[in-house]
Amino acid sequence: MADINLTIDGQKTTVPPGTLIVEAAKTIGIEIPVFCYHHKLDPVGACRLCLVDITPGPPRPQTACTTPVAEGMVVRTQSAMAVQGRADILEFELANHPLDCPVCDKGGECPLQDFTFRHGYPISRIDGPRLHFKKPIPLSDKIALDRERCVLCYRCTRYYDEVAWEQELTTDQRGVQSFITSQFDQPLKSIFSGNIIDLCPVGALTSRVWRFESRPWDMTHTASVCSKCSVGCSVTLWQRRGQLVRVTSHENDDIDEGWICDRGRFDYTDVNDPARLRTPSINGARAAWADAISAVAAGIRGRGARLGVSLPQDITNEEAFLFRRLLDGPLKGARVKMHGRTAIPAPAGDLMRIKEIDDARVIVVVASDLEDDVPIVDLRVKKAVTKRGAKLIVVHPEGVDLDRHPGTVHIRNAKGSAAAEVRKLASHEWLKSPGGPVAILFGDGRGSEDVDELASACGDLAGQVGGREMALYRATNERGALAAGVAGWDKLDGVEALLSWGPPPTAGIPTSAKFVAAWDHLPRVGHDRAVVLPATTFAERQGSYTNLEGTVQFLRPPIPVLPPLKEGWEVLCELGAALGVALDFDGVLAIQRAISLPSPDLEPSPTPVLVGPAHP
Amino acid sequence: MAELRGSHGDQAHHILTSLFGTPDLHTLSVYESKGGYTALRKALLDMAPADITNEVKTSGLRGRGGAGFATGTKWSFINRDAPGPKYVVVNADESEPGTAKDRYILENCPHMVVEGILIAAYAVGANQAWVYIRGEYDEPSRMLQAAIEEARAKGYVGPKPFGKDFPLDIRLYRGHGAYICGEETALLESLEGKRAQPRSRPPFPAVKGAWGRPTLLNNVETLATVPAIINRGGAEYAKLGTAKNPGTRLLTVSGNVRKPGVYEVEIGKTFRHVIMELAGGPPEGRVVKVFWPGGSSAPVLPGSMLDMTTDAEALAAAKSMGGSGGVIVMDDSHCIVKAAHRLLQFYAHESCGKCTPCRIGQDWAVRTYERILANEGSQVELDILQRVSDGLQNGRCLCGLGDSGGWVIDSTLRHFREEYEDHALRHECRVGTVAPPALRATSPQVGRT
Amino acid sequence: MSSPNKSALPTHILDEIRELPARYPQPRSAVMPALDLAQEELGHLTPEAMSEVAEALSLDPGYVEGVATFYSLFHHQPIGKHRFYVCTNLSCMLRGANEVVDHLKQAIGVERSDQVSSDGLFSFEEVECLGACEYAPMMRLDHRYFYDLNDQKVDALVAERRGKPVVTAEKPKPKRVPRKKPGG
Repeated sequence: MADINLTIDGQKTTVPPGTLIVEAAKTIGIEIPVFCYHHKLDPVGACRLCLVDITPGPPRPQTACTTPVAEGMVVRTQSAMAVQGRADILEFELANHPLDCPVCDKGGECPLQDFTFRHGYPISRIDGPRLHFKKPIPLSDKIALDRERCVLCYRCTRYYDEVAWEQELTTDQRGVQSFITSQFDQPLKSIFSGNIIDLCPVGALTSRVWRFESRPWDMTHTASVCSKCSVGCSVTLWQRRGQLVRVTSHENDDIDEGWICDRGRFDYTDVNDPARLRTPSINGARAAWADAISAVAAGIRGRGARLGVSLPQDITNEEAFLFRRLLDGPLKGARVKMHGRTAIPAPAGDLMRIKEIDDARVIVVVASDLEDDVPIVDLRVKKAVTKRGAKLIVVHPEGVDLDRHPGTVHIRNAKGSAAAEVRKLASHEWLKSPGGPVAILFGDGRGSEDVDELASACGDLAGQVGGREMALYRATNERGALAAGVAGWDKLDGVEALLSWGPPPTAGIPTSAKFVAAWDHLPRVGHDRAVVLPATTFAERQGSYTNLEGTVQFLRPPIPVLPPLKEGWEVLCELGAALGVALDFDGVLAIQRAISLPSPDLEPSPTPVLVGPAHP
Repeated sequence: MAELRGSHGDQAHHILTSLFGTPDLHTLSVYESKGGYTALRKALLDMAPADITNEVKTSGLRGRGGAGFATGTKWSFINRDAPGPKYVVVNADESEPGTAKDRYILENCPHMVVEGILIAAYAVGANQAWVYIRGEYDEPSRMLQAAIEEARAKGYVGPKPFGKDFPLDIRLYRGHGAYICGEETALLESLEGKRAQPRSRPPFPAVKGAWGRPTLLNNVETLATVPAIINRGGAEYAKLGTAKNPGTRLLTVSGNVRKPGVYEVEIGKTFRHVIMELAGGPPEGRVVKVFWPGGSSAPVLPGSMLDMTTDAEALAAAKSMGGSGGVIVMDDSHCIVKAAHRLLQFYAHESCGKCTPCRIGQDWAVRTYERILANEGSQVELDILQRVSDGLQNGRCLCGLGDSGGWVIDSTLRHFREEYEDHALRHECRVGTVAPPALRATSPQVGRT
Repeated sequence: MSSPNKSALPTHILDEIRELPARYPQPRSAVMPALDLAQEELGHLTPEAMSEVAEALSLDPGYVEGVATFYSLFHHQPIGKHRFYVCTNLSCMLRGANEVVDHLKQAIGVERSDQVSSDGLFSFEEVECLGACEYAPMMRLDHRYFYDLNDQKVDALVAERRGKPVVTAEKPKPKRVPRKKPGG
């Protein structure tokens, strides 16, 4: 269908058919204020703030958020009818609002404030008592609800229902007595709960982790990438006086569509922990960097398989590249284990990208509960099913989050038999003529499946039914480490020396280890018997991650690395020098240049798509 | 059953109520003995679906629920040939204050409703009809269910009614106390097991209605009229009433009248006829101060306008409407501010809370009325009422409930400004001590307090 | 929440609820009929009962809570064995509904709609139009409508339900306090 021409406030614009007026106005920089409308949620026309004057049409203001454009339509946002309509709605919104902006965390970044300023009446005509609710109410240990500030736009409950497929957040009562509540006042459990804070257009839903920490204008923010799993959602990191005070979502339609999970949003307080390690130490005594590096080098050099290295899941590509140099040289033969990684090997070719899930007609999810493994991919699958009509087949021994959809076909396989089940799927009714692309997502069953076998079964199925497969790597930079030639599948039992990089190994420090070097950001038990190097966190680190689909994204640290803390790459270079390997890099950029050079000794890896950090 | 209060028995203009009062009319045997189900037989066996719809179009029948949309036109919106299920949903959620006519029909002649539903279902190609009946209607619900079962036993409801290969079924769904369910999209939400909050339109129910399927929504009285139209022919029906508002309708007359009741009235008769003659006029010594011509949502008319006719065009010209046909009469012993306050309490209580102006505005109005009635009012309160009223009307709200509250404020203020000023500015109520303000020639000027 | 092994709703009710979804084109429509059954059994809806309804229908409890609190015929706290739903909307108000309510309050010894008489027999609620305006003032009680209400009729209905002989209208009644007149 041809694009639609229309005029808004005298300006002409051309948009695809089906575009809502509120979106068409954005294309020419005209603001139509909204509360209930959100571009990722179905329009409902509830708040009535987007009233505009439309010709041809009835002599009444109409909602720009529910009305699609039409050829030749003339929209006026500044006619008396439209202006008064919006001002009246804002006045209604304020009739019961507590106007406690001075102590509200939303103050300064609040659409209710901004819209009232730009579209409301210049004087307040409201007197008389306001409606009161008990406030604030904890919805969980992370989220507070202030019902007096709520404008009942239902973004939060609609998000829960439409996007997250949950109803633990609901609306109680009706009319002016309506209020948002968690079911029977029980704490919210969803791992996706925090997004309602970003969605809330007023100060009704606020983070308890951040509550009363700082005003929005006291913070600086940086667009970065989440380091909590392999999805690599875009996040905004908010800094005040050297502290990371808030993490919010940051829309990247290719990956996260503006959603992040609660791990990414709330698991950041360790960055500000007063106990953070800042200086090296040897057996509990503070030490100079040079001495500590020498001690580590002496303890790990030339031990072959008797050395174990525990890697953090969020090792950067640059660190992995440097570490590989050490593994090829003085640490040759060391056993390496990476936190949280799957057993999925490096991909043989280019795999499906997350956004391709949108267009799938049938989605097959094997050996993974996406909610736990790759949370935001879980939401993408839900969207494809409920908003775009995809059919869903799950192969998993246990119940999974995606079972919430009544149409989900769940094949409960015996553990270890996922590949066999996948081989049967080609004859499944839905896959015989899927009517479009098929998306096949497979995990490793948390160790229960033979992943080589499963990957090959999924590849075969994809070939048979016209599908694409996606390997669900789990650890943040598992795929980047694989590309650097660092697998991290070894067992650490029995090693004599251990380099514990990041948090200690999940199974604990092997008792066999006589020498332990810990490179960590927090003090742990046993550090008084180890050589300890202080580490940076994701909020200070420079570098890049390769996410599960192969997209390389760059971290942009909001907090500077202040001496005596050192960047990870710098520590690795110094360690290299102490071990006799020349790693002469003067910054991450130089390392990235080196990575991009063809390297004969590395497996050719699929060309990652390089993208910069999302726009600030 | 309680004594019948309203039209019954054979009179020239009685179309719906001519049989009412017949003993055991609620049974299928009596209804059939009086000619019941002949229209259904005729529709199924002798008429093409399109002919039925055309007959209804010819009759000029307009929806009796409140909005007054042309019934035949509404039927024609359903694509009979679209694949998949289609539904007829009957709005039996009668809750408009001052309206009791659907209950009157259901208690007197449930089979007439069943017959109308079946004809409509066949005409629009729906095999399944759902009657959404308000939860408080225990007796009407029982009677309708019994009628459906009787019709089922006879095969009229079933796989082959009158041998026609067109399965018809009717099921009941009980409401649970929410006026908003009278609004058609809220009703559909409720039928789907949700909070009854109106949907944004389009899509309209004819395209995407109950459970996402094409759906015809009609009121009980509308469907009850259909058998008569099929039997007599649309043209014959259209001879009654006015050109644009043909036929008869049931007006529920309540409040301060001597003979409250549900009266079948040829559209176009005056309210004087309805209130003063049929309902016996106000009690001895009282005059009609004000009346609501079509349920509490219809803007009020002062007693001086009793000669207004009951057709939609005349009422629209007087800035009111025929609505649900609930004629509420208030005499001069009652205070308009208190009446308006009570109605705003109603609209605030029944607001679903989805859209801002209705959720906030109705409640704001109630609190403003409270201040006025507590003698704490001033010009500010009058201004607020006017402003809230403006903010509730003219497309600001998602559905008509918002407008309704606005109209109560606006119309009572317009016709009885002086009485409002008595309360708000002078902190007194002169009801009963002076002639109704609307009957006065001029209102004295009032300054700001 | 109550102890895990004691459920709020008896098994046969839950079985009945589980059969409901099949009767509708989509299973969610069963939520209100299901809540009806629960309320019929318990008198009012408790969080436990709503959670059990939700589980029986494969819904989230929060969804059921949202629906159950929207509609005014669902009760969330105990009500009397006999609940008087008295219409006080305009048509009934104009014919004395407020006075009927005043009298009813005295007759059953209950002041507010969230209270129950001490014997557990009675509670009341002022409701919106019940669609029987030609019989105003009227009310709904025990799934029936009662018309043309006055003090005597109210007394009789109360006495009948107390199982006591109907008191005739001759009994002198205490003088009612008139509603506060805003004009004074």
